[in-house]
Amino acid sequence: MTSGAAIGRALRPWAFPLVLLGLYEVYARRAAALGSDALAPPSAALKAFVGAALDGSLWEATAFTLGTAALGLLAGAGLGLLLGIALGLSPRAARMGFLSIEVFRPVPSVALIPLAMLMFGFGLRMELAIVAFATFWPMLVLVQAAVRQVEPRLLEVSRMLGLSARERAFKIVLPAIVPRLFVALRLGVAVALVVAVTVEIAANPHGMGYAMMIAQQSFDPALMLAWLGWIGVVGYAVNAAMQRLQGWMARRMGAAA
Amino acid sequence: MVAEPMAAAAAAAPFLGFDDVAIRLGGREILSPTRFTVARGEFVCIVGPSGCGKTTLLRAAAGLVAPSAGEVRREGRVVRAPSREAAFVFQDYGRALLPWRTVEGNVSLALEAAGVPAAERAPRIAEVLAKVGLAAHAQKFPVQLSGGMQQRAQIARCLAQRPALMMMDEPFGALDALTRQGLQDELARLVREDGLTVLFVTHDLEEAIYLGDRVIALQADPGPGRPSLARMIDVRIPRPREQLGTKEHPEFLRLRRELFAFIEQGHD
Amino acid sequence: MKAQGAAGWFGSLAVFAALVALWWAASNAGWVSRVFLPTPQATLASLAEGLNLRDGQGNGELLGFTQATVGRMLQGWLLASLAGVLLGAAIGVSPAVRAWVQPTLEFIRPLPASALLPLAISIFGLSAGMVLFVVAFGAMWPVLLATVHGFAAVEPRLAEVARCLQMPRAAFVWKVGLPSAMPDILAGMRLSMTISLIVAVVGEMIASQSGLGQAILLAARAFRASELFAGIVLLGLIGFASNALLAVAEKKLLRWQQP
Repeated sequence: MTSGAAIGRALRPWAFPLVLLGLYEVYARRAAALGSDALAPPSAALKAFVGAALDGSLWEATAFTLGTAALGLLAGAGLGLLLGIALGLSPRAARMGFLSIEVFRPVPSVALIPLAMLMFGFGLRMELAIVAFATFWPMLVLVQAAVRQVEPRLLEVSRMLGLSARERAFKIVLPAIVPRLFVALRLGVAVALVVAVTVEIAANPHGMGYAMMIAQQSFDPALMLAWLGWIGVVGYAVNAAMQRLQGWMARRMGAAA
Repeated sequence: MVAEPMAAAAAAAPFLGFDDVAIRLGGREILSPTRFTVARGEFVCIVGPSGCGKTTLLRAAAGLVAPSAGEVRREGRVVRAPSREAAFVFQDYGRALLPWRTVEGNVSLALEAAGVPAAERAPRIAEVLAKVGLAAHAQKFPVQLSGGMQQRAQIARCLAQRPALMMMDEPFGALDALTRQGLQDELARLVREDGLTVLFVTHDLEEAIYLGDRVIALQADPGPGRPSLARMIDVRIPRPREQLGTKEHPEFLRLRRELFAFIEQGHD
Repeated sequence: MKAQGAAGWFGSLAVFAALVALWWAASNAGWVSRVFLPTPQATLASLAEGLNLRDGQGNGELLGFTQATVGRMLQGWLLASLAGVLLGAAIGVSPAVRAWVQPTLEFIRPLPASALLPLAISIFGLSAGMVLFVVAFGAMWPVLLATVHGFAAVEPRLAEVARCLQMPRAAFVWKVGLPSAMPDILAGMRLSMTISLIVAVVGEMIASQSGLGQAILLAARAFRASELFAGIVLLGLIGFASNALLAVAEKKLLRWQQP
């Protein structure tokens, strides 16, 4: 492939969005000229973005959202991992927990926002609790499935070798589920971020979601769009990073599962 | 019924003709200029080692791939695109059947594509399913069928097209020996009943001799200026053939020895 | 994952009952403040009252709120599914279109649907229509992306079979492409339903639209814990029922997958 074609290939993903943004730029400029306070052209949003980056508000809010999401993920996915392994290894325990899990799992995490508000007020803990709840269930379900699908031959080998339950869990089960664990983790990261932003939009006066809400309420459409775009970029970047991590891990572990 | 002298028939009115067809794919010459004809009603088997281009040749006959040089002609007309008159049986039958349709539904697809009105479809489907022995399994989904039955379902769909030419790409390669033998005989019977012209690719030399009126042997990487088509032999063994008797027939054994030696030679 | 046999069900029920008993003890004995944790009986009472289960004695508000939320969720989901499948098919059938458009779709994928609410508010103001728009728009993407993937992943052998049968393009899309993409589309629609519920609730919360979202927010602000819990229970039920119904429908539609 000639270098010209290669450059073309690299630029192609940008063609469609740039065309759309260009059209929107023209449209929004006209709307702004007519006095609209709802739409702002991408160029104004970019300026607002730079402004927020320079005065620190961008980093503060982003750090809050990312930090809270990470902590919530640690708590929720961590618990989900432990319980998932336990239930995966013990079909009996899984059967006993079945009803309770099926009753609590379908509760939408946003439904717990007012409860968390009541318990923790506004701030880090409230958002963390909701993220933990939201990330707990997918991790539990996926890890449980992964453990149950560990090659039964390996478990037989562990019995023949006389491994203790603890040894079995750490030397056989855990390494065997690592690839699928990373898939679940990738999903968990995505959920954590989405839920964190959603909580900020709905109630919590901190973080990126809140910053975007405030911008809208202050009739600052440029800043609002800047936040919307930034949230998109952060989400995309985090997911892309997780995908690379997952790919790297899959190659290291022989990409079996 | 004894095999007619094929040479005369071929010279008279070739049903299918390859005129110096060469095919390049991905920078490599998969098939060097190949020239041969097939008469109407002939059963021609194509054999050769991996990479000799036999599947590519078949796909060119079907119009699925265009020749880089030369022409494929069917009934005098140049083949440029697939046509319903030439039915293609794929080796990976599992992937060639619609998993969400029953056997009946899969056969129906051929008729729907041909624009056959709904009322006429049912009897034609029943007829063709009876021919391949799947009448009792018409309402089953592919996932519920064995490999042999799935392949028969694909063959049934091809027969529903009422094709003049049937192209088969190692159709029995993925099946176990017993199923393969049963299907070989079923195919021979069907072909005889409907007077089909068949182009049959296989890596199994015995299968080629057993089924064919003629066997075409291709060679891989013939070298510059040399054709892919290395050998063409007529199979003058009487029909109908059967698994035990025919395979002990002296002519069968002779051809078998000849073909094996030839293929071995090609491996030097 | 199915509970096996009567013993399994009994054990499962026992564990659940134990958790409820724990709830009962913790709330009644005051281990956890009743401001956050109402007693089970108070929750049930609020439910009964709100759903008008006591011979017309109750105010029936919760019933109305539930209808509003479910209505928003379903309407948005139906619109989203239709738009998602149509657009997704249009994009998915053509490798050329996919190549140009896919990267943009991948950028939108991780965006929280609720993040569109401020934009929608500034355009449409605080109204039921605004919430419905965001529900539909937000819930469209899982279906759209799943449809694009489903169409892109059509078994290439089937495409060849269609060529051999000289099938016209439209027939191919309708008879081969769509059924082939159906498992992906149905999975996308299930995810879409989850998002519809979430955005409906959040939308009600911030746009003060009548529904369970607003109801539980107001209940929390007024420290009426039993009403809050009643609302949470109902939202959980909605989530459960919608998912279960879709799973049943999916199983019926994908009967052909089971040997």
